[in-house]
Amino acid sequence: MKIKVPKKPLPSLLSLVGYPVAILFSVFSFFQIGFNLEDFKRNLANRSIVTDPLFNPKWEWAIENASQALLETIQIAILASILGCFIALPLSFYASRATNQTTITYYIYKSFLNFIRTIPDLFWAMLFTVAVGIGPFAGVLALIMFSMAIMGKLLSETIDSIDLGPLEAAKASGAKHNQAVFSSALPQILPNFTAYFLYIFELCIRASVILGLVGAGGVGRIIETQRIFLRFDRITPIIVLILIAVIAIEQFSVWLRRKIL
Amino acid sequence: MIEFKNVSVTYPGGVKALNNISLDIKEGDFVIIVGMSGAGKSTLLRTVNNLVKPSEGEVIVNSKNVTKASKKELKAIRSDIGMIFQTFNLVNRSSVLKNVLTGRLSQVSTLRSIFGLWPKEDKEIAFESLNKVEILEKAYVRGSNLSGGQQQRVGIARALAQKPKVMLADEPVASLDPITSRVVMQYLKQINQELGITTIVNLHFLDLAKEFGERLIGLKDGELVYDGKVDDVSDQDFENIYGRAIKSSDLLGDED
Amino acid sequence: MNIPKQPFNQKILRYTITFLIVIGSIWSASGLEITTERFLTAPSKLWILISAMFPLDLSEEAFSRIVPKVGESLFIAWAGTVIGAIFSFPVSFLAANNVALNMVSRVTKQILNIIRAFPELILAFVFLPITGLGPLTGTLAVGIHSIGTLGKLSSEVIEGIDEGPLESIKSSGGSKINELLFGVVPQVMPTITSYWLYRFEINLRASAVLGVVGAGGVGAELINQLRFRDFPRAGTVLVVTILMVLIVDTISAAIRKRIIKGREVKV
Repeated sequence: MKIKVPKKPLPSLLSLVGYPVAILFSVFSFFQIGFNLEDFKRNLANRSIVTDPLFNPKWEWAIENASQALLETIQIAILASILGCFIALPLSFYASRATNQTTITYYIYKSFLNFIRTIPDLFWAMLFTVAVGIGPFAGVLALIMFSMAIMGKLLSETIDSIDLGPLEAAKASGAKHNQAVFSSALPQILPNFTAYFLYIFELCIRASVILGLVGAGGVGRIIETQRIFLRFDRITPIIVLILIAVIAIEQFSVWLRRKIL
Repeated sequence: MIEFKNVSVTYPGGVKALNNISLDIKEGDFVIIVGMSGAGKSTLLRTVNNLVKPSEGEVIVNSKNVTKASKKELKAIRSDIGMIFQTFNLVNRSSVLKNVLTGRLSQVSTLRSIFGLWPKEDKEIAFESLNKVEILEKAYVRGSNLSGGQQQRVGIARALAQKPKVMLADEPVASLDPITSRVVMQYLKQINQELGITTIVNLHFLDLAKEFGERLIGLKDGELVYDGKVDDVSDQDFENIYGRAIKSSDLLGDED
Repeated sequence: MNIPKQPFNQKILRYTITFLIVIGSIWSASGLEITTERFLTAPSKLWILISAMFPLDLSEEAFSRIVPKVGESLFIAWAGTVIGAIFSFPVSFLAANNVALNMVSRVTKQILNIIRAFPELILAFVFLPITGLGPLTGTLAVGIHSIGTLGKLSSEVIEGIDEGPLESIKSSGGSKINELLFGVVPQVMPTITSYWLYRFEINLRASAVLGVVGAGGVGAELINQLRFRDFPRAGTVLVVTILMVLIVDTISAAIRKRIIKGREVKV
């Protein structure tokens, strides 16, 4: 019995164009990066610069000099994430269609948040070190922008998908717009806000380590100075200390998340 | 065709799902199993293809011992047993055709299946199976874009593509409306009659059981409490199986 | 009338959290010698810097220096993401506790956690003496860090699948590999691919920055211009970087949306 088999649909535009472009671009990129075997061999011979000091880590030096900076790093992260996230809270409501019906301000806030997101955190750090001087303050400001950007995006998307019911009910009973948002929309997103905050805090800790490289305070500054002198025997224990701190904070935040949510 | 020999199943935690079930099902039978939720219907069905391993006793399918089979033998046995599920179990993002072809996986080399190089015969078997449940035209539609009834038909097609000797249906219509349920049951009955595939269906809608069943098996608390022709079943018998008076939720009804 | 009291635990929790936040901020701020006054004057200082960047340096010389570097950042980000995607995919299966043995998945997850803990810059640091100054170092740094993050995210997607289709494949005589390829992969690919693209967006920002340690990309340009106080040129670097990031973000977001939504086949 001959049955009428349907025609197989043509591949979509995305797969037809996308896959070849992606593969070609990948090959091209790898070429551009330029993997030079000679250079690689030569540099591999130099690896003793990194590996020798590994067997001679200067723990006392690291603990003595880096602990203060590590503390600074953590403080930068705490302050910046708290301030950044809490500033982002009202901004997100303005950047969401659900809670901001005024088109103009909606676009302004949304574009503002998008714009902040495009600038890498280190660029912010560079800018702020020039504007307010070298030191941890620049780092805090940079990470505030960083936190605002991420929280703004995540939170405004969450607000976009909340249940509008309670909001309508509040307005129907006569509440002003801001009151309604505060009482009906805010509680809905609080769990998300907390989860995002913990996540951003972790990110800030890591970012804060880096910021020091451009003079924005924290332990990065020490790493950079030591790197210039190729003192990997000092850098390695510092990195290990950082690792321990980062993992400890991560475990703490996981525990905290479980407790609260 | 299918023999249950003193089959008992105790789940970890001590729950005894099946208690000493002995049953003979002949080739070509159309059997409906009824009972309350938790009576052991799903468990009984899954001992046939060893998705659940009996704690005691054994199950013989087509002269092969399923319970004691090796991994390799088990795969061969399972490829002769088709199964459809209450939740359809389609891969939502894949097309209908791809879903049905998963029924042929046991017969196709792994390498070929990865690259989508299905042999012509297997593709043809898939198309024929889809045609049998009258859903051929939707072959390239994504699984999740179909209605519940259509998805279940794809499930049946997938099982058919195995060219099975046995068909197991675990509450196949529990999530479907009355009309679609009857359509699906009709397909199962048709397949049983035309292709001679031994069929076991778990149901908890009594009117449906009476409408389509030939042989009825009742389970209560893991024990066999009824085994006989559907025509001989009385309301009293149903009450014995369920341990209580029949409620309206035990009946499918005629319309939504 | 018996008005129920707010549960004691809830109250304690709220006060503790508020307390922690306030104390945390104050402790950090004082440790860093940051006062409210500094906060209030900061925006104006930033504004002064920004206005010093205009008019931008749009000279040919500026562009000939900047554009190749920006392109370099793009290549580093893309190549690094490719490395991350290719290696993280099999690893994510090992890390998923519903696919791999419990012991294997736990060990793999821990390894991924350790890799993730290293920011790309630190990794670039480590590779510098070996692979030298240049984009290769940056790519390796970005790539390896991506393996860590993508590995974790992908494994979570795998752990969240519907196991039903797997049961159906098993019941028809399929092997474990069949289950993975036809049950797991089709379910997770859309989400995992969109994670790859999102990772590319983030890696682009990371690679822009890597130039600071000489690992390729536009970061070196920016910091040099700032150090030499050539603000208009620094401004150009910023603007070009921002434009590139915006373009990539928009295209990537559109593709991701389409991947998640899927294609409609009209019958």
